[in-house]
This record gives sequence, structure tokens and C-alpha cells, in this order.
Amino acid sequence: MDDAKRDVLYKHCATTVRSLLAALTQLEREAVLLQPAALAEREWFELLRQKLIPQLGEQAFLVVAVVGGTNIGKSVIFNHLAGSRASATSPLASGTKHATCLVPEGFNAQHDLQSVFPDFELHEWSDASLALEESETHRLFWRVAKQLPPSLLVLDTPDIDSDARVNWVRADAVRRAADVLIAVLTQQKYNDAAVKEFFRKAGAEDKAVLVVFNQCLLPEDEPYWPIWLDTFCRETQIQPDAIYLTPNDRRAAEDLRLPFFERQIAKGDAKQTQPAPDNTSRDLAADLAKLRFPEIRMRTLLGSLHELTHPQRGIPAYLRELRMASEDLSRIATRLTTESVVQVRTWPSPGNSLLVSEIRQWWHAHQEGWARTINSAYSTVGSGLLWPIRAARRALQGEPLPPMEDYRRREWLAVLGVVEEIFDKLQWMADSGNDVIRPRIEAVLQGEARSRLLTLLRQKHDALDFEAELKSVIEQEMQNLRETKPDLFGMYRQLNNVSAAVRPMTSVILFSIGFGPAGEIVAPFLGHAAASAAIHVFADVAGGATAALAGEAAVSSAASSGTSMLQAWFHRLHSAFTARRASWLTQLIHSELLGTLPEDLNAATSLAKSAAFIEVQKCVLKIEGLL
Amino acid sequence: MSLTPELQQLTILAEIDDLVRDIRRWLNDAPPWAPARRNRSLVSKILDRVTCLRIRLESPLVVATFGGTGTGKSTLVNALIGQEASNSGRQRPTTTVPILLVHPDIETTALGLDLSQFHVKKIDAPVLRDLIIIDCPDPDTSEAAEFGSNLARLRAILPQCDVLLYVSTQQKYRSARITEELTDAAAGCRLVFVQTHAAQDSDVREDWRKSLAPEYQVPDMFFVDSRRALTEQAQGQRPSGDFGRLLELLTNQLGTSRRVAIRRANLIDLLEEALNVCRANYDRELPEITKLQEILDQQRKKLRDTLTNQLRDELLVNRNLWERRLLSAVTNIWGFSPFSAVLRLYNGLGAFIASFSLFRARSSAQMALIGAVQGARWLKSRVEEQGADSSLERLASCGITDQQLQESRMVVSGYVHAAGIDAEQFADRRELHHLRHQAATVEGQFLGDARRDIDELIEHLALQNCSAMTRYRYEMLLLLYLGFLIGRIGHNFFWSSFLAPILGQADHPEPLLTVDFYIPAIIFLVMWSAILVLSYTWRLRRGLSTKIHKLAQSMVVTRISEGLFPALDHVCQSVISDDHRLTELRERTSRFRRELADAVGFLGGQLR
Repeated sequence: MDDAKRDVLYKHCATTVRSLLAALTQLEREAVLLQPAALAEREWFELLRQKLIPQLGEQAFLVVAVVGGTNIGKSVIFNHLAGSRASATSPLASGTKHATCLVPEGFNAQHDLQSVFPDFELHEWSDASLALEESETHRLFWRVAKQLPPSLLVLDTPDIDSDARVNWVRADAVRRAADVLIAVLTQQKYNDAAVKEFFRKAGAEDKAVLVVFNQCLLPEDEPYWPIWLDTFCRETQIQPDAIYLTPNDRRAAEDLRLPFFERQIAKGDAKQTQPAPDNTSRDLAADLAKLRFPEIRMRTLLGSLHELTHPQRGIPAYLRELRMASEDLSRIATRLTTESVVQVRTWPSPGNSLLVSEIRQWWHAHQEGWARTINSAYSTVGSGLLWPIRAARRALQGEPLPPMEDYRRREWLAVLGVVEEIFDKLQWMADSGNDVIRPRIEAVLQGEARSRLLTLLRQKHDALDFEAELKSVIEQEMQNLRETKPDLFGMYRQLNNVSAAVRPMTSVILFSIGFGPAGEIVAPFLGHAAASAAIHVFADVAGGATAALAGEAAVSSAASSGTSMLQAWFHRLHSAFTARRASWLTQLIHSELLGTLPEDLNAATSLAKSAAFIEVQKCVLKIEGLL
Repeated sequence: MSLTPELQQLTILAEIDDLVRDIRRWLNDAPPWAPARRNRSLVSKILDRVTCLRIRLESPLVVATFGGTGTGKSTLVNALIGQEASNSGRQRPTTTVPILLVHPDIETTALGLDLSQFHVKKIDAPVLRDLIIIDCPDPDTSEAAEFGSNLARLRAILPQCDVLLYVSTQQKYRSARITEELTDAAAGCRLVFVQTHAAQDSDVREDWRKSLAPEYQVPDMFFVDSRRALTEQAQGQRPSGDFGRLLELLTNQLGTSRRVAIRRANLIDLLEEALNVCRANYDRELPEITKLQEILDQQRKKLRDTLTNQLRDELLVNRNLWERRLLSAVTNIWGFSPFSAVLRLYNGLGAFIASFSLFRARSSAQMALIGAVQGARWLKSRVEEQGADSSLERLASCGITDQQLQESRMVVSGYVHAAGIDAEQFADRRELHHLRHQAATVEGQFLGDARRDIDELIEHLALQNCSAMTRYRYEMLLLLYLGFLIGRIGHNFFWSSFLAPILGQADHPEPLLTVDFYIPAIIFLVMWSAILVLSYTWRLRRGLSTKIHKLAQSMVVTRISEGLFPALDHVCQSVISDDHRLTELRERTSRFRRELADAVGFLGGQLR
């Protein structure tokens, strides 16, 4: 591939990768209810952030990192590369806490080192011992090294296996940014699980790897290193580009004159014809300078892109995980909806006398002229006549409970019944539900939350003006009646007779979660009720069989008249009031008990259709197409 | 008198057995609380291991190597026994099947070890006379503890070991995997720390000790060169330096005499560890129980306040009932006398009238006021009616409504669930009528207390108002009129109408007094009596409201013994006492551990 073509490819990838990152961040925010593992914990995402975003589209340079387990001489090897004690060495393990970076002359003028290592806090190198200090932040000490070939960054990294886990994080960050890894191995550690895990990732990202077997006993280890290497390569899927052995010579290491003996990997049949080991020391830095930069760079970028789009380890797996979690949740949500349906068989109705008196009041308010005067005269006389009877009754039975207060009391009992049933059902859901929504449900089921909700409901319930509620319902229904049925006066006359016969039993079904298919089956009863707070009211009649048969049709049909029509209308009045009350309760429960849970569930279950999800899918497809 | 070592041993053993028995008893007595059950299963698992250890108490100690691959475990073992018994090499990992090295004289089947896991080698080496050495595979080449991996094999062996030879090198002493594995492995084991590769590596023992210090007790560390030691032994020399000391430690200190002490210390370590875990879990879960208790207390208090307020209000309203009680108390004290007869008459009439109203409004406070005899009868009838619908009404008269009961139940059930108390403890409260029943019981108790207090108050008031002086005054005032009346009548009867004419003092006898006289006389008698009675009852009722308020106050302070949820109260209490028992057991174990620690202080171990 020539340079021009390569540049175009890089440019394409760079823009795609940038929009991918934005989409992913958005997607993670939207998927928060599904509780997937954080993106930052995913290898491919870190690769995207730490390798692809900074390096795609940048001028070509190569990042070389010395990596390996603790206390096996990484810093010693690095110092040999640097030609000076740039990194402090110590006989104690886990000494190097921070990365040190050698920068070629003029690098800073062309590039921004910070963007290459976005997670590190950059410091100019002043003392080798700085890298030994512990700190919260990830530091990187940089130093200009004149002898380095241009476009070559060389790093010393913290260890990958000590009990200071923050070192691992730092080493991983450097690994992702790197193109070439100098893998420092020893006979003790070449097969350690932590080491294998680290290099397996490097292998998957297609890094160029130079293996250095440090602290070898030469010549005793001469027959062993091929076995070590074989195990290492088999376990990590790495094809090393070069192999070096360094002897266990502490003095030479300290004086920076450790020899590096290059070894060739024996070809399959070359066992017998293995040449005598070449024991001339190589200059590691010079060997590095001879590396074919563009090829390696291309290779590692492609490797990282492949990891990003890897069906098992990359974004496709993440998307699959999200979709499955979302489908899971949608099943749960459907169950939650169907299970949380609460049916109240006998929602209390306000007394008929109450309705009648309200209707009378409405009537009076809508009378005009002499009819009004006469009516009010009658009612004054009537109440005057009735006064002694009322007074006597009060004296005998004590002050009666105002009918509205009585209704308030009965309705509160019904409300309590509904709330308790919802609590029970939610509890059951929490006990058998999945981990995503259990904590949310359990939070609202705690004792404190319960008593808070009850207090709040009671306050709201006590503060309600039932009179006004009833008035507005009657207002509405009377208007309806006036429009459809002009013979209002007849109805008014029969009011008492009719109301005596109607004993409605209203039952209510509340969809407390009001979400998903079950919510759609039953159309919202009231226009103004929130779409998610669906309720259904059945008015049933005890007494007055004709009215029971009449139903809705009787009310709307202009032809029908008389008592049956009136009874049906009376019914509707009751239902309308009950519906109003039930929707009040549903909305309160919805907002106070469940909060944003239904909306969140809704969003989470349709995640796979969200713009961010589709955008991520598109980007992945684009990258796959480019590769 | 000091005990012989053998007796001392036996005493300690007996004490351990006692402890284990107590722990077992604790295990079998779990409150209906989920965390209690969960934690018990953990302890009972450990206890099984303890039993196993207890059986092996006298058999030779099992010493196992532990450390990363390539740290020289096998080389060290070879050096210890003075011959090449376990393959050591430069390929990682070298040892995959654990090797059990045992003296030919020791019967392997009696060790209580699962021998199929090992490659058993019988070797006649001096160090093996009192020990069994296991050369273990490494914990750090396997990435997961899959079946057949080195890590899985290692984990199977570790619980059977008594002492671990923790072998490490300059390269590996800070390795995360090994330190993590050690945390699990070291539970119930003594530790000996060995740094190998002395020929090539620097001495990092100080840094190693520093990194171990937070979690382990590190009495000694050995820096050995196993290869040189093996050559020395091959040449017939005694191994020198740290290796010599290590060999000395294994051969002499881990012999028969310390065997029991070490095993016992391990055993107690395990127990303490398990109990510590329990303790931590309990500490995490107990706040929920405390919260539940608080809420139950709150509910109880609310109930009591409602009852008290209701009682007080009704007591304040029902003045005539007070009067009746007070009057009857006073007349009881005074016995029979003219004024008390008047009081009785008045009281009797009052009772006759009140009995009508009483049958209509049977409020609790009135009942409490009626007094012991009538009240008890009434209460009994109440209890009989408890299943009936009317109980609801009666509760409402005490200010306890269905709504309140339901609210209480809802809130409490939230707490119960959060606390992890078994649902069936709360199940009998599901039905509202159960709650009503309980509320009625509570109310009954409350009224019983109230009645006693009211009785006392009445007694007190009565006594205050029936002093001789008061009585004398009222009797005199009554008698004054009666005396006058009798004087008038007597004068007329004996003198004016009879004796005076006979004695010639009058010309003719006066007529006897007629109805015209008696009617006003009686009217005045009644009026006079009424004035006296009223003034007396007024006197009785003086300061009554303050007294009633005081009474209510004192009722608030008294505790209702049972709330609406007695079963839950009981569970809470049993959880708390269970917690106390756990603390006590743990403290006993820790004390034991401290006592035993000195005996094995020459070996390393986990710190708590």
C-alpha cells in the first residue's frame, strides 16, 4: 500500500472513529438502566480512546514500550536504550510507579505529546527517582533524547503483575498506545498468568514484539529459551520480531553494559542444524531504528481496528450484550405491567343525595328569570320547614358526619387498599425480578419510603376539595345532557325517584405501571389522563335492572327517555366521578411511587432502536468496510 | 498447684470442645432471620473442618510449600530432605502433581489425607520423622481455577495443611496473584517465610516484611540458597546459614511437642475467622433490625398516645360518671349516716338514669370509669365479641381506625422485608381482622391499666374529701334541718296537741300537723339535701380536670407491653440476643486465640 492510499485510509478511519466515540458515549448514557459494565472497563473502548483517537491521522511516529513483570529489569533494559540512567532501578519490587518517555529531538514541535497519552499527567523529566514516587494521578515523565531516531518514542512502564494494581492500569494504557513492545521475560515469569494475560492482549492488537529474556544463566539456559519462547508464543499468540538474551550480570546491568545476544527462532526442521549461538552483543537502540516504521504502524492500527470490530471481544459483542439486556428488560417490563394491574371491585361512590344536591345547585345556577325566583323561594320555604326535623335529628344522633367527609373516609380506605396491593405486587416482582430493576423497586418498598408515600398521599387526599371535583363532573355531564336531551326539567323532577333506585358498584382497574402492551390494550378512559396512567372503570348496577341493560347507549340515544335513560345517565355520573378519582390516584402513584421508572424502562427497552445505537452500528459497518 | 503439661493440654482441649459445643448449640438455635441462617451455614462448614482437624490433632504436621512458579519450591524441598525427590527445573511450571513426602515409618492411611491427589514418596530423611512435606504446584501460572489446573489442585490441598512454607524470590515477592491466594490459603495455617535464590538475588526480606506486615505476623524470614544446601548435605556437611536455621526449625520445633499446639491454634484461627465473617455480616445487617424495632416502638407509642388522648377526652367529658364513682367511694367509707344515706340515694338515682345512656354509648373510657366490677364484666363481653363486626366500631371509639391499622401494616411490612425477617413471621398480620384482634387486646390491656389508675385516683379523691371534719360539717348541716323538723313535729305531737292541754298549759289541744306542713317540710328537706349534696359533689370535683390530665400524663409514660405486632417484637428481640451470643462466642474464641498465640509465636500467621 503506498503512502497516499494509506493517508486516505487513515483520514477516513479517523473521522469514523471520532463519531464512533461520540455515539458510544451517548449510548452508554442511555443504557445506564441496563447496567452494562462501564465502557472504560472494556479493552476495545480503551484502545479506541488511547490508541485510535490520538494516533489515527497523526504524522507517523512509533511508540516503543518496555513492558514486563515486576523486578525483572525493565528499567535496566530501558536505560540501555536511553544510554543513561533515565529511569531509576532498585532491587525492590514494584519500584517504577510511573512511565518515563524518551522523546526524539523536535518531536514536541510537531506533535502534542499529551494527546498521544491522554490519561497521563505530563511532567518534564528532571530526576530518575521521580518515577518511583507514589501518586494518585498517572504521571509520565518525558525527556528529549538526542541519540533517538526521529519519530520514535521509547517508554519505560510500571509492572503488570505486582500487588499495586494501579501500576497495571498505567502499563495497560502505555501498551495500548504502543506499536512496538519490548517484552522483558525471565525464566521465573515467562509463564505467569498475569504476564500471559497482558501479552495476549498485545498479541490480539497485533503489536510488534521484541522478546528479551533477561537474567539468563548462560550458557546453561541456552537449551531452555526455545522452550520458554514456545510456551510464551503459544499462550499469547505472539510472533516476536526479534529475540534477545541477556545474562544475569548485576554489575554489568548497573554499568549499562549488559550485552544483548540476538537469537533466531528455530524453523520447524532446523533443530539439528541450529547454528552455534552468536554471542556478539547487539545495540538494541540501533536495531529499533532499523524497524520499518510505516508497516508496523499500519499493522498496529489495523490490529486495534480489528479488535474494535471483533465479533466476540469488540463493539459487536457490546451491542449484542445491550440488545439482549434490553430484550430481557422488556420481558420484565411487560410482566411488571400485567402484574401490577390492580382491580378494585368496590370503589366507593359518593352518596346519591350528594349528587342530587349538587345537581340541584347546578340547576339553580342555570335557572333564569322568574323560575329561579320561585325555585329559590321554594327551597327557602322547604329548608325552613325542615329545620325543626333536622335539629331534632342532630340532637338525637349527634352531629352527622358531612357526606363528603364520609366519602373521603371511604375513599381513603380504597386508596390504602390499592397502595397495599401495589406494594405487594411490586415486592413480589422485586423478589423474582432481575437485577436491573430490583434495586429501584426495593428502594420504593422500604419502610421509610412507604411511610413517606402514605403521608404524602394522605396529605394530598385530605387537602382535596371533593365538592369542587364533584361540581366539575356534574357540570360536564349536565352540559352533555343539555346538549343531547332538551327535556331537562322532566329529568329534574324525577331526580329523587331515580337516584333512590340506583346503587352503583363501581369497580376500577388501575395500570399502576402503565407501560408496555397491556397499557395499550385498554385505551385511556379519560382524555386528560396521562397516556401512561391508564385506568378502566366499570360501573355495575345493583337495583334497577332496566338501567343495567340500558347502559351507555341509552344515554346517548335521543329516542329513549324516562327512568331507564335517567338511571343510565346517573350511572355515568358515578363512573365519571370514579374515573376522575382513580386517575387522580394513578397519577399520584405513578409520580410519587414509581418516579421515572416507567419512562426509564421504556427508554431502555427500546434502546436497540435509539439513534446512538444505530449510529454505533453504522460506524462499525463502515470500519469493517474499510478494513 | 501447677498442672503437668499433659493435664494442661487436656484442659485446653476440653475448653476447646466446650467452645465448639457452644458454637454448635448457637448454630442450631437460629432466629427466623435470613442473615442469621446464611451465616450459620458458613460457620457450620468451618465447624466440619474443625472436626476433621480435631481427629488429626495427634498425627504428624503437614508442611506444604506455597509460592509462585520458579521460586524454587521443589529445590527447597529437595534440599530439606537432602536428596532429589521432587523434580526441579527451569521450565515453568515444573511441578503439576503435588508430591507427598513421608517417612516410611509413618502409616499414610492414618493421616486423614486424600492420598489420591498426591504422588506419594516414602523417604527416610531426618526432617520427615515428625513431619509430612507436600511440594505443591504453583498458584500463578493458571489464569483460572479450572478443573485440572495447578491452581485448582493447589486449592484442594491447602485446607489439609498445617504449616505453609511460603517461598518467594526477589522477582515474585510482590506478585499480586500470589498475595491474593495467600490470603485464602493462610486461614487456619501457620506460615514460614523463605526467600530463595540467595546466590543470585539481593536480600529483599525487609521490603517483603514491610509489604506483609499489615496482614501477617512475621516473626522470622529465611534467605536461603537451596542448591548450596543440597551440595553441602551431599558432601556430608551440616547446612549452614539461614538454611540451617530453617532445617532446625522444621526438625526440632515442629516435632511432637508443638504439634498439638499448632493444630489447636490453627483450629481456633479458623473458628475466629468464621465468627469474624459472621460478625461483620451481622454488623452490616443489624441496623435494619434496629430500624424495625424503632418503627415498632413508634407504632406502639402512636397507639398508646391515641388511646391516652381518647381516654383523657372522654374522662373529661363524662363528669357524672366520676361523680357517681366518687360518691359511692365516699359512702363506702362513711358507712351509714344520714348524710351518706342522702348521698347514696342521689347516687342510686343517678346510676338508674345513667344505665340507659350507658347501654347506648359504651365507650371505653366510660367503661374504665364504671369501675372494677362492672368494667370487668364489660371487658369480658368485649373479648367474647372480638370476632364480631362490632369490634371495629369499638376500636374506632378508641381512636383506632382501620385505616390506621392498614397504614401501620404497610409501613411495617416494608421494614420487615428490608430487615430480612422471614415472611411467615408477618403472615398472620396479613388479615386485617387479626390486626383488629390484636389492637383490641392491646386496648384491653391499656384499659386494664387505666382502670387501676382511675380506681386509685378515685380512692385518693374520696379519702381527701371524707375527713372527719368535712363529714362532721355536712352531717351537722343536714342534722340541723332534720333536728329542726323533728323538733317542730315533736313539739306539736307531744306538747301542743297532747301534753299541754293535759297539764293545763293550753286551753285546748292544737290539731296535729297536716299535709300542709309536711309538703313544704319535705320540699325544704329535699332542697336542703340537694344543696348539701351539690356542694359536696362540687367539692369532690374540684381540681378534677387537672387530676385527669395528670392521669393521662402518667398513662403516656407507662409502656404498652405489646404492640400491634407482638410476633415481630419477639423476632427482633431474638435477633438481638442472637447477636449478643455471637459476640460472646467470638470474644471467647479471640481470648483463646490470644492465649494460644504465644505457644506458636515462632511461626508466622494471619493477623486479625
